[in-house]
Parts: sequence; structure tokens; C-alpha cells
Amino acid sequence: MIEAHGLTKRYGSKLAVDDVTFTVQPGMVTGFLGPNGAGKSTTMRMIMGLDRPTAGSVTVNGQPYARHTKPLAEVGALLEAKAVHPGRTAHHHLLALAATHGIAPARVDEVIELTGLAAVARKRVGGFSLGMGQRLGIAVALLGDPRTLILDEPVNGLDPEGVLWVRNLARYVAGEGRTVFLSSHLMSEVALTADHVIVIGRGRILADMPVQQLVDGASRRLVRVRSPQAADLADALRREGGDVAPGDDGALEVTGVDAARVGELAAAGGVVLHELTPVASTLEEAYLELTADAVEYQTEGPADALTGTGHHDAPEGSAR
Amino acid sequence: MTAPTTTAEAAGPRSTVTVQRVTFARVLRGEWIKFRTLRSTVWTVAITAVVMVGLALMMAAIMQVAADTPEMSEGMSQDPGLQAIGLTGTTIVTFGYSFGALAVGVLASLIVTSEYSTGTVRSTFAAVPRRLPVLWAKLVVIVLTTAVVVAVALAIAYVATAPMLDTAGLSVDLSDGEQVRALAGCVLYLATVAAFALAVGTLMRHSAGAIFTIVALFFVVPLIFSIVVQATDAAWTDWVNKLLPSVAGERIISRGAETDALLDPWVGYAVLVGYTVVLLVAAAITLRRRDA
Repeated sequence: MIEAHGLTKRYGSKLAVDDVTFTVQPGMVTGFLGPNGAGKSTTMRMIMGLDRPTAGSVTVNGQPYARHTKPLAEVGALLEAKAVHPGRTAHHHLLALAATHGIAPARVDEVIELTGLAAVARKRVGGFSLGMGQRLGIAVALLGDPRTLILDEPVNGLDPEGVLWVRNLARYVAGEGRTVFLSSHLMSEVALTADHVIVIGRGRILADMPVQQLVDGASRRLVRVRSPQAADLADALRREGGDVAPGDDGALEVTGVDAARVGELAAAGGVVLHELTPVASTLEEAYLELTADAVEYQTEGPADALTGTGHHDAPEGSAR
Repeated sequence: MTAPTTTAEAAGPRSTVTVQRVTFARVLRGEWIKFRTLRSTVWTVAITAVVMVGLALMMAAIMQVAADTPEMSEGMSQDPGLQAIGLTGTTIVTFGYSFGALAVGVLASLIVTSEYSTGTVRSTFAAVPRRLPVLWAKLVVIVLTTAVVVAVALAIAYVATAPMLDTAGLSVDLSDGEQVRALAGCVLYLATVAAFALAVGTLMRHSAGAIFTIVALFFVVPLIFSIVVQATDAAWTDWVNKLLPSVAGERIISRGAETDALLDPWVGYAVLVGYTVVLLVAAAITLRRRDA
């Protein structure tokens, strides 16, 4: 269980996380979704006590993280891949962390086995691929068999098999009654893994709901219809309570009336149809719609670029 | 969430992994594992010892040759510079201390700064979120390692140079309190330099900056001041010079002061310890406050 209250982080003049309040429940996977630079990593670092909040507070399992006597048993975190000295072996890195909690070396071997690192565990981390680094980060997170698992972009750099493995791991761990908080900038990833989703953009919470609700609520049930008698059809649809907007190349985009009903109305009114297509908006579209105003690094057109607001400060990840 | 939960399930998952409380002793073990599992660290320590012994042997050999050559020994006995140093056997045995200070200073700063440059520090602080035990554990590791390695290097140098120093009439006299103080002082000085550099590394967090600071403070500035002091009569330059961390701290390895230009051995060493304590306190405060 993670509880954040009014959590705020300011870097100089930039507000990275802006008065964020949320709860991450145990027993399910909670996705933390947002575009790059939205404040996901900063929020996760504040949960782990690595960054000091400018205002507000956050607790893990009822206490600020630093107050726990066995921190690694409370939270296991993957905050960035390869947060390891390149000259040290994966085995020794894990061994050093295990020593701080009196965790037996056998457990180190166990998490190495579990994350599929057995073949490279005694090699120096400098030669690891991004995917192996990610697996080592997950091994570190699992070391203390924690009640809460925090994974920042866990599938970055993993091959398809690795992605599937992380997904299953997250679901399995949550199934044991633990808390899993997993960030991603990919809606599809969150939809496949998470039960609940918290969407963040420009440091603010945009949505906090079950994944299914986000999908249902944000997606528009759109019907594209094309007809030589478009005006007549539009009138009939509007009378039915539908919303009609002219789409591309003369088609009508109808919402509020499903495809079957559009067909019936057309038949009843003797309207010829050239096309009748139900268009379910995708998850990705729902997400883009939600975060449209909150994208940190928007692709700007040439005109915008000249008058652009210039997002030059990047506190996320690489800049530190 | 709709499934009925028994009380056992409500209490959370049962763990089969034994996880114990974080204690200073455990943090210390973790830091020791980190220290000994980097090849660069192990090599630096080994090379420091080898070079310190090597420099002592080289100097002893020169002394032996000088003693065998009448013109040279006469020249040395009349050289005011050499007389001022007060050349004894301990001077030869501890001859590599300056190199040792450089090696130990760089190593101690890197122990902290490399954690920042590689991101290891975030794993470290996730495991020990109170942070300060990490600083103290690193301090214990680097100070003790330095002390042991320097003591061993001096012991080897003492034994290895003894025959040559006997020939040169410069035998180390372990019944002479001042010589024993100088030998022990070499261990103390280098261990303190390590603590000083650890604090600088913690404050600066960047390898290049920390190493530059250590080299400048311990090697470049004293060199400049040794010239400035000769060139001017201004009293303040004398004071700045004798209060420089290296000039003050090194007094414990040298003979007692015969001029006002330098502090007494223990006073000088106490000045270095004072700087080190202040820096460590500052390092501890910033370590707790800053974002990792």
C-alpha cells in the first residue's frame, strides 16, 4: 500500500510533480501511466525517499520509507536499469545489498535464478545489455521478498519473452496480495498488465480508475458512414439523438448511435449507404486524448517551434 | 477483491525469505563487500603498498651508496637542506607517504563519487534509506583498510631496508619515541587523508571535481606556498602555509619543529583532524538533505 498526499516536487522553476494525491492498493497491479517527463520517475523516487518532496508526504505500508527497519522487505524497486558499478559483478552487487539486511547468499542465488541471470551473474555488469541490466534491477527489487514492488518502466529494453515474463511476474506478485506499482509511457503495456491505472501528465493526476473504466469511458464508440444522401441521413440520426460530424472525404462520423441502428434508420428512410463502419477508438487514442494537453515534449510544427514555449529542462532520468 | 479473505491473507503475503533489520554492522558488511569486489580498488590498494615499499628501498639504496662514497657522504653531512629535514631511518622508511596520500585520497573520494556516477547510490540508499550509516560504514572501511595497508607496507619497508640503513648508519631506532611517533604518524596521517578525501567526495559527488580538489589542496597549493613563503616576509603567508592540511598533517611524520614556520607534530596532526571532522559533519548534513 502506497499513500501519497499532496506530493509536490519542484526543481528550480519547474514543477515536476504538482500536488499529487493517490493510493496504490495491495492485491492488484497499478499502472502509472504518463508521457515522458510527466513526473513518474520523480514520484517513484520520492516514494523511495531518494528525492525529498518540496511539499506533501508519501508513506509505504503506513510509514515513510526511511522509517522502516527492514526497507528491502517493504519495498523492492527498479528505478533505473544498471544502477550498478560497471566493474562489479551482478552477484557481488546483490551480495552487498543483501548483506545490509542479513539476507542469506542463498537468496541472492535464488533471485539470480529467478531473473534468468545465472549465466552472467559472475560477469562484470559493464558488459551487460540493457535487457540484462533490467533483469538485474528486477533481481535487486525482489531480493527482500518485498510487500510492495515498484517498477519504473520495467519492460524497457527487454525482448518479447522478457516483456511477457515481467507481465506475468507483476500479476503473480499482485496475486499473492502484494502491492505492485508499475510505470510505463505505453498505454498498451499498462492495459495488458494492470488492473488499475493512475494517469499523470505534467505532474498532475489526470485519471485514477480501473483500467477497464478508462478504456470504456474515454473511448468513443464511433460509426463512420458514407452516403450520397448524407444530409437526409444526418437529420435522421440527429432526431435519434446521435451526434454527427463531417469526417474526411465526405463521410459522417456518428457517435451516440450504434452501427446497427444507423443501418436500420437508413433502411427506414430509404437512404443508400456506401459505407457503414463501426470504429472502436483504441486504448492508445483514449490515452492520447487524456494526455493531449499534458505532453511535455510535444512535437512542434515549424510555426510553433518559433514561438515555442521551449521545454529545455529535463529532470527525468538522463539529465542527472 | 471480491473473493473472501481469511485473516491470514489480510495480513499480507507470508514470506519465506529471512530478512533482518538494517544495523550498522550489516551496512558495514555491505560496504566491505562493495569495496573488495572492485578490481580497481584492490589494485589501487596493492599498488600503493608496493610503491611505498619500493620508494623506501630506493632511498635506502641511495643512502647506502652515499655512505660508501666519501665525497657524497661528506656533501650530505654538510648540506643544510638535508640537515634541516633531520634525516633518520624513519624518513627513509616513510619516504613514500606522499605518493600514498595521493593514492589513498583518490581512492577514498572515488568510493563515494563512483556511486553517484554509476547510479549505484540509488540502490544503496534504497537499502539503507537513512543514509548516514552508509557514510560511516564507508569511513570505517577506507580508514581501516588504509591503516592496515600502510602499517603492513611500513613493516615490510622497515625489514627490507634495515640491512642497507645499517650500512649507511641510519638504522631505525624503535627505542626513540620520536621515530616511533613518525612511523605511527605515517599510518595516522594517511588514514586521516582517506577520511578527509571521503568527506570531500561526499560533498562534491563528482569524481573529477573531488580528485581535483584533493590534488590541489594536498599537492599543488603547498607547492605554491613553499615558494611564496620563501619569497615574502608577510607573516600571514607563514600562517596559511603551516595551516594547510598537508603541511600541518605531515608534521606527525617529521621531526619536532625547530622553527616557527611549522607546527609541532601533534598540533599539526590535530589541525588536519579538525578539518576532517568539520568536512565529515558537512558531508553528513548534505548527504541527508540532498536528492540522490
